[in-house]
Amino acid sequence: MSQKRHSASPDGEPPVVAMSDTSTLENKTGSWKYIRPIYRDQVAPCNATCPVGIDIEGFMNFLREREREEACKLVLRENPIPAITGRVCDHPCEKACHRRRLDQGLAVHAVERMMGDLILADLPDILLVTRPEKIGVVGSGPAGLACAYHLARLGFEVTILEAAAEAGGMLRLGIPEFRLPRRVLDRQIEWLKALGIEFRLNARIGDTVPWDDLGEFDAVFVATGAHRGRGMGIEGETGPGFRSGLEFLKEVNAGGRPDVGKQVVVVGGGNTAIDCARTALRLGADALVLYRRTRNEMPAIAQEVDEAEREGVRFTFLAAPVAVNRAEQVLESIECVRMELGPPDESGRRRPVPLEDDRFTLQADTVLTAIGEVAEFDYLPDDVEADGASVVVTLLGGTSSTVVFAGGDMVEQPRSVAYALGSGKRAAIGIDDYFWNRGEEEPEAADWDSFRFADGNLSMARWYGDDPIPRSAPNNRVVRPEDVNLNHFVPVPRHEDRELSGEASAAGFDEVNAGVAEQDAMDEANRCFNCGVCNGCELCMLFCPDVAITRGKNGERFHVDMSYCKGCGVCAEECPRGAIVMTREGL
Amino acid sequence: MKKVIMGNHAVSWGAQLSRVEVISAYPITPQTQVVEELSEMCAQGTLAARFIPVESEHSAMAACIGASAAGVRTFTATSSQGLALMHELLHWASLGRHPIVMANINRALGPGWNIWTDQNDSLSQRDTGWMQFYCENNQEVLDTTIQAFKLAERVDLPAMIILDAFFLSHTSEPVDIPSAETVDSFLPQREAKVKLDVSDPRAFNGLVRPDSYTEMRKDQHDAMERALSALEEVEVEWEQLTGRRYGAVEAYRADDAELLLVTSGTITSTARHVVNECRDRGDAIGLVKMKAFRPFPTAEIRKVLKGVKRVAVLDRNISPGHGGIFAEEIRAALYDVPLDDRPTIFGYVLGLGGRDVTPPVIEEIITEARAAKGPKREDLWVGVTS
Repeated sequence: MSQKRHSASPDGEPPVVAMSDTSTLENKTGSWKYIRPIYRDQVAPCNATCPVGIDIEGFMNFLREREREEACKLVLRENPIPAITGRVCDHPCEKACHRRRLDQGLAVHAVERMMGDLILADLPDILLVTRPEKIGVVGSGPAGLACAYHLARLGFEVTILEAAAEAGGMLRLGIPEFRLPRRVLDRQIEWLKALGIEFRLNARIGDTVPWDDLGEFDAVFVATGAHRGRGMGIEGETGPGFRSGLEFLKEVNAGGRPDVGKQVVVVGGGNTAIDCARTALRLGADALVLYRRTRNEMPAIAQEVDEAEREGVRFTFLAAPVAVNRAEQVLESIECVRMELGPPDESGRRRPVPLEDDRFTLQADTVLTAIGEVAEFDYLPDDVEADGASVVVTLLGGTSSTVVFAGGDMVEQPRSVAYALGSGKRAAIGIDDYFWNRGEEEPEAADWDSFRFADGNLSMARWYGDDPIPRSAPNNRVVRPEDVNLNHFVPVPRHEDRELSGEASAAGFDEVNAGVAEQDAMDEANRCFNCGVCNGCELCMLFCPDVAITRGKNGERFHVDMSYCKGCGVCAEECPRGAIVMTREGL
Repeated sequence: MKKVIMGNHAVSWGAQLSRVEVISAYPITPQTQVVEELSEMCAQGTLAARFIPVESEHSAMAACIGASAAGVRTFTATSSQGLALMHELLHWASLGRHPIVMANINRALGPGWNIWTDQNDSLSQRDTGWMQFYCENNQEVLDTTIQAFKLAERVDLPAMIILDAFFLSHTSEPVDIPSAETVDSFLPQREAKVKLDVSDPRAFNGLVRPDSYTEMRKDQHDAMERALSALEEVEVEWEQLTGRRYGAVEAYRADDAELLLVTSGTITSTARHVVNECRDRGDAIGLVKMKAFRPFPTAEIRKVLKGVKRVAVLDRNISPGHGGIFAEEIRAALYDVPLDDRPTIFGYVLGLGGRDVTPPVIEEIITEARAAKGPKREDLWVGVTS
């Protein structure tokens, strides 16, 4: 290197400094490197967790770019009922959110709900039937609705058969109005009808409609749920004063206002138990939830438990009923035994162990049991294999009978609206695949990896091949907490739901949770880290010490000039979202 | 617009009016409100600058150098130990010819820990190639901050504005704040003569062999020399806009004085008061204020001190083993003055670690310097019981 040599520089002349006479472009520092950066998208934990298979990270990114319509389209690609899931889904995505390491996880539910409400305000066009096959869907719960919707979008003619007088399945029968207003559900069903899906109501298979009548369809998806309340196995639990919690909810949700007396005890810790207690409260009773484990192990949505408590529901943890006291056929009280938590069971939660000598008595006019439901599927023909409690299905919902698919609560999977929606979508893909590849064996589960986010649910956008967000392949690794560079984010408080006061909400069946304001939901989307996916933030460009990174052309987001990139790895280290990886040269 | 503001904020306002583009600073002790105010201006959007908080003064100066290399106007502030920590990079800034402006609050160095004023922190950086300007009041602090950018960018050397801890830094005084238009007309956006250019990249600060290093040093030294005349031009222009002028050296009631006091910083104001009282009672005592220490105003010092019998230099600093630093530099500057015209220099070391220098202290010095036959080593220390 040489230096500029001047005599003393007068004003206006450049000073004499140690600077090379010639350009350093001659020095191709890229030859030094043994590792190089590659822009490789990874899977956001929310996407990998969503049982429905929604591209959550993707719609958050659209919202951040203020492309609301694109965001809504992306949600609708995977989930026909975001206005409903935004209200009742337990959102496992929020628990997986990496933002929890900085402040609070993203309020995905609030954003989803906002988009769901926007979608409902604008009815879509009728979908065209483009395929010759007709598909029958038995059951109009979330699994059936999802399967029918996706099949309709794939061009099939779809008919839903529903045993009840109104469509919605457990959404209508099981979920109280104060969590899911009927206007939202009705509007959502109306919307699906408008797409061209036919609904046949009061059509109970094996009762008003014989199974063989389904012969008019080329394939059938059954998702009739799990409705029969599980017994506790104690003497007297079927007598007066005892009811199945779900039966109770169905009656109230249908408009009934049964007399439950002054004191109601609900046995169980799931959402049905909480819904029962809150409903009983609204009928004027004192409600007490009796759960054999502690609050930490409750499967119910925590926010719902909080709301119940605020409304005045009381809780007794670590106790279970063991005997029933009646006087002249009228329930007076139940005898309970205290429990303690032992080692974890197969669900990973600590198993409750009774302390036989520690007993107490609870006054009760009504006891509602909400400890789970059993699926009943006697109507299915013998060639549909079941393992007793549930119908045996493949990844794509295929049963042992070629043209019969199944999903929802009657197959082996967690019982939630989200899982039901996910199974309906998988079955729609299964049916589509079946009619494209008739006679072929269903592919192995691993063959589906390119159609999903890591080991999350299948993506309809990827199956259909119209994913508006091209991500670099292979897109199969979930972003780890350490991949996110928290230094580039500042804490911003999560937008919390607007909720009625406990007193106001306990007074009637009005919706308790009003979600967040539209603008707040948009702002909430700005909190998203976009884990694992390059959103063009340009920090790599800014940090590259060799100025080797520039904006890319022809669809390439960024271009790395490998003549000068010396493989220092600063870009990968600084990338806030783990979308750059360093790979060995020559491998 | 007149505002009553403390010296620290006079610096902040000066930097804001100068439209600095990058500020990098270490925000903890011995930092002052200078950068606190600037960070608020940045946050509120009243100053369009990038504020880079860093983990040490060493890094602060490094960040300033980087920003300056990219061609933008750059500022920082520090004090005492923080300035000492910057030492390596002060050389780097000057030899890299970066016109960075820095405010240094004069504070004594530890141990023992002391947050009060003296000049040893800045004078310890004498040979780093930074211009040094010692200010007397908050108006001068604000004016000098703005002037420093103009001067620094003209000669491509960094500049240090220096103000006494507490006596200026935390003392509020009325300050006339010029309008943005006035300052904009005086100080347009920086146009760097050499800067990083990604479309024509060069290597900077690499190896310089013995055949070139001296030339680089000479250019730095020549720039320092040119800075004296440039300062005068800058001051003239500022005076036309604001009516205020300070000078590298200011002679105050110095005509026909039998004894001249030489001061810097806030001791100057106290000395002005004492000189006024002396003159009122007929004693021919005058004052010379030194604002510029680097570049050293040799010619002007010779001009104002030539022919005066006695000169008492008040040093709020000490070069251990040698003496007060201003006194030594003035003695050196006067060596070429013919013996008949060369004054006797009395050096006094006082006010260290923030000790108050009151009018009676200065009166005492005047009495002693007038009476003594000549300076004695033991006369150096004022107010110290042996």
